[in-house]
Amino acid sequence: MKTRADLSINFCGIKFENPFCLSSSPVSNHAEMCARAFDAGWGGIVYKTLGLEKSFRVVMPSPRLSVLNYMDKRFVGLQNAEQITDRPIKDNIRDIAWLKKNYPNKVLISSIMGYTDEDWIELAKMSEDAGADMLELNFSCPQMAHPSAGHRTGQDFHAVATFTEVVKKATKLPVMAKMTPNITDMLPVALAAKDGGADAISAINTIKAITDIDINSFTPLPNIHGHSSATGFSGPSVKPVALRFVSDLYNSKPLQLPISGVGGIETWIDALQFLLLGATNLQVTTGILRYGYRIVEDMIEGLSDYMIERNIKSLDEIIGKAAQKLTDPSNFETRYQVVSVIDEEKCIGCGQCFISCHDGANQAIKFDPAKRKATVDEERCVGCLLCKHVCPVWDCVSYKEVDTQLVKHAAIF
Amino acid sequence: MKKPVDPVKIGQFESMRQPLDLQAAIKESNRCLLCFDAPCSTGCPAGTDPAKFIRQIKFYNYKGAARTIRNNNILGSVCAHICPVEKLCEKQCSVKALEDPINIGGLQRFASEYGKTFALEPLEKSKKNQGKIAIIGGGPAGMSCASALAKLDYEIVIFEKEEHAGGVPKWNIPEFRLPGEALAYDVKNLLDQGVEIRHKSAVESKDAITNLLKDGYDAVFISSGLSVPFKLGLLDGFTNAVDYIAFLRKVKFDRGSINLNGKNVAIIGGGSVAIDSALSANAAGASKVYLISLEHLDELPADQEEINLARLMNIIFKAGSQITGVNAHEKIISGLTGIETDWIEPGKFIPQNARQISGTEFKINVDLVVQAIGTKPGNEVLNFSKALKTKGKGIVEVDDNFDTGIPGVFAGGDVVNGGATVVQAVGEGKKAAQSIDNFIKNRRNSL
Repeated sequence: MKTRADLSINFCGIKFENPFCLSSSPVSNHAEMCARAFDAGWGGIVYKTLGLEKSFRVVMPSPRLSVLNYMDKRFVGLQNAEQITDRPIKDNIRDIAWLKKNYPNKVLISSIMGYTDEDWIELAKMSEDAGADMLELNFSCPQMAHPSAGHRTGQDFHAVATFTEVVKKATKLPVMAKMTPNITDMLPVALAAKDGGADAISAINTIKAITDIDINSFTPLPNIHGHSSATGFSGPSVKPVALRFVSDLYNSKPLQLPISGVGGIETWIDALQFLLLGATNLQVTTGILRYGYRIVEDMIEGLSDYMIERNIKSLDEIIGKAAQKLTDPSNFETRYQVVSVIDEEKCIGCGQCFISCHDGANQAIKFDPAKRKATVDEERCVGCLLCKHVCPVWDCVSYKEVDTQLVKHAAIF
Repeated sequence: MKKPVDPVKIGQFESMRQPLDLQAAIKESNRCLLCFDAPCSTGCPAGTDPAKFIRQIKFYNYKGAARTIRNNNILGSVCAHICPVEKLCEKQCSVKALEDPINIGGLQRFASEYGKTFALEPLEKSKKNQGKIAIIGGGPAGMSCASALAKLDYEIVIFEKEEHAGGVPKWNIPEFRLPGEALAYDVKNLLDQGVEIRHKSAVESKDAITNLLKDGYDAVFISSGLSVPFKLGLLDGFTNAVDYIAFLRKVKFDRGSINLNGKNVAIIGGGSVAIDSALSANAAGASKVYLISLEHLDELPADQEEINLARLMNIIFKAGSQITGVNAHEKIISGLTGIETDWIEPGKFIPQNARQISGTEFKINVDLVVQAIGTKPGNEVLNFSKALKTKGKGIVEVDDNFDTGIPGVFAGGDVVNGGATVVQAVGEGKKAAQSIDNFIKNRRNSL
C-alpha cells in the first residue's frame, strides 16, 4: 500500500517535490542553513533577500524581535525589525551556486530588492548566473531603512510594474512579485506586477504592527535604544489575513496567476487551507523560527495521509476548492437558520456558554444550578454558535437546522 | 499542575510548599474555566472566593487577587498554605471533568505573596463608632470575627492568653507546613484595621463575661478554642508520654531542648495533628516513628496528601491497632505493647467499637510517646459553663447564628465545632460577626 502521496507541484513551470518552501528571511540566511532545510525535507527555499551593499549598506537593529502573547500562550505572533540580508552580495551568490550544485533537485528562488533599475537588473542577472530557478521581487519588506524600498515600492503600482518589467527583460527566469498586505486592496498592485510581466504572486509579507509596549518605560517593543516602530508582524495571528488576501488573488478574474501562499503556516492543516484558497506554493518562516526546520516532516506526512485517505492524486485537484465558496455577504442564504444543540452527557456544567450567551448574544442558554447543566432555549437561540466556541469541551455543542417558518428570533435581535 | 512537596524541606523545617511563581500562576490561572456558578467559591467555608481571585490573576490583576483573598479571609495567607483544598474548593472544580483540578492553593499562595511583596494598601482602620466588642481568644475564629467587625466600624479588643495571636496555626502547625511569615502577615493586616490585641490576657474567671458586658462591651465572642488534650489512662504519669499540643509547640519553638536523634517515637492518633507530630518527630531526627491508630489506612481522618507525605518520610503505620500495655521503668516508658483491631460495627470509628484480633499482638521499643487523640475546651469555658450551654466534650452550644442564648454572647470556631479546619473557623467568625452586628443594631433600634 502506498504510504506517501505525490505532493509535487508545478509552479511557473518548475517542479517542486512538495509545495513547502522557506520564505525569504533569517531561516534562509546562508548556504549551510538552507542545506539543512533541504535535508529536513523542504521542497524549496526563497533565499534571504539579496541587495547590493554598494547601493545601500544594511545594518540590522537590535533587539529586533517582539512577540504577541495571548495569556499563557506565547508567540501567537511575531514582530520583527529585520532588514534584507546584511551579507556581502558575493558571499550570497557563492552560497546560491553551491546550493544549486549540491541540491540540483531542490528549488532555489532568489529574492531580490533593488533601489534603482540598474540594481534590479544586476541582482537578477547575478542570481540567474548562480543557478537560481526563479526570482522573487521583494516589494514588501515593511521596515527597510532605505527610504524608497520594500513596502513603499509595493504600495506604488507604477513602481511595481516598472521594476517587474525591468527584471523580466533582464532574465529568462520566472518572476514572482511579493505583495505587501499593508494596503486596502492587493489586487491593483498584483495586476500592476502582471502588467510588468510577473509569472506569479506571493502573499503576504508581514503586516505593519505593534505587538507590545513596555508599560513602565512607555516604550513600544522591540525597544531599540529608546525607540521602536510599527514593523512586520507574522505567525499564526496573521494567517486569517493572509488567507483573505490569497483568496482575493485567486478569485480575481483578471489576475489568473499562480500564487505562493505565505502567512502563519505551521501545520499541514494550515498548509492545506492555503491550498484550498488558491495557493499552489507555500512559504514558511515564523513556524521555523519557533520550532525549527523539522516541522516540515509533519506537514509532508499529514498532507500526504490526507490525500491518500481521500484518494487525491495531485494537489492540483484541490487547489482553490474552498475559494469558490467565498461570496459577498449580500448573497448569504438567510432562510437557512440553525440553533445550538448542547450534549447533556458531555456538558461539564461550567456555564461559560451561559455567560457568553447572556452577555454577548441572545440570552438563549439556561443554566440549571442544581444539575449544573446548560440547555438551549430554541425559541431565543439565534444560531450564532458563540456557545460552541467558548465551550471547553470541544465536541459538546453542535447545531441543527430549524424551520425558518417557525423561527421568530430575527425580530428579537 | 502541582509540584510535589519537597520532603527535604520538612527535614529542615522550611516551608514545604512554595508559592507558584508568576509564570506558573499565569499558566495555572489560564486552565481555569471561569465557571458561571463557581463551585470552588461555594466550596470555601470562609468565603475566600477563589473563582474571583483566579479570574483576577488570569487578567493580570494580581494585586486585585491579593485584595480579594485578604479582604474575604483575614487568614488568607495561612489558609493558602494549610487549607485541605482537595476536600474543599479543588474538590468542586469543574476542570476535574477534563483534567486535574486547578491548583487553587498554589494560586492563593502566589496572590497572597504578591500582595505582600508589592505592598498592598493596608486594610481600612475601623472608625470604632458602632460599639465595642470583646473577643476571647485570638485564634482563627477570633481574628476573623474581629476583622469582619472592624470592617463594620466596631471597636475590637481581642483577649489572648498567649504572647502572640494566631492560636493553633501559631503554636501547633509545624513550620514546614506553615511558614511563620504567613501568619505574621495576616496578624499585621488585622492590626492595620485598628483591632487591639491584649496579649497574656486570659479571660477565665467565672464572672468574666458578665464583667465584660458591664464594662462597656456591647457583645462578647468566645473563640477560645480547644486547649486540653485527651490522654490515655494507660500512659498517665509517665514522663516521656506527652500530648501533641506540648510536643508540636516544643518542636516549633524550642527545638534545641529536645534531642530525638536515634530515638524511637510513637504517635497515638490518625488525624492531621498526629501526622504533623510524626513528621515533626522525623524531622527532629527520630530514627523510627510509629503512627498507631484505631482507624485503618483508608479510614484515617488525616488528609490523603498528609498520609502520602508520612509514607514518603518512612513513618511506620500501625493503622488499625491499639495500645494494650506499657513497659516502663521508674516512670519512663521503654516499650509499648499493642494489638491489631477491627470494628465490631463497620463505619463507626470510636474506641468502644474496636475489637482486638487475637494473635496479632506486637511490641515496639519507644523513647517517646506523643498522644494526638483530640482536645477539648479548656478551663475558660468550664468556668463560663455555669451560664453557657455545653455539650459533648464541653463544647459550647450555639444556634445557627453562633448565638449562645445569653444576650450579647456569641461563640465560634473550635470551641463550638469541636475542632475543625482554620478555614471553617474563619467562616464561623465571619458569620458570627454578622450576627453580632445584627444583635447590636436590633438592640439599638429597639431602644
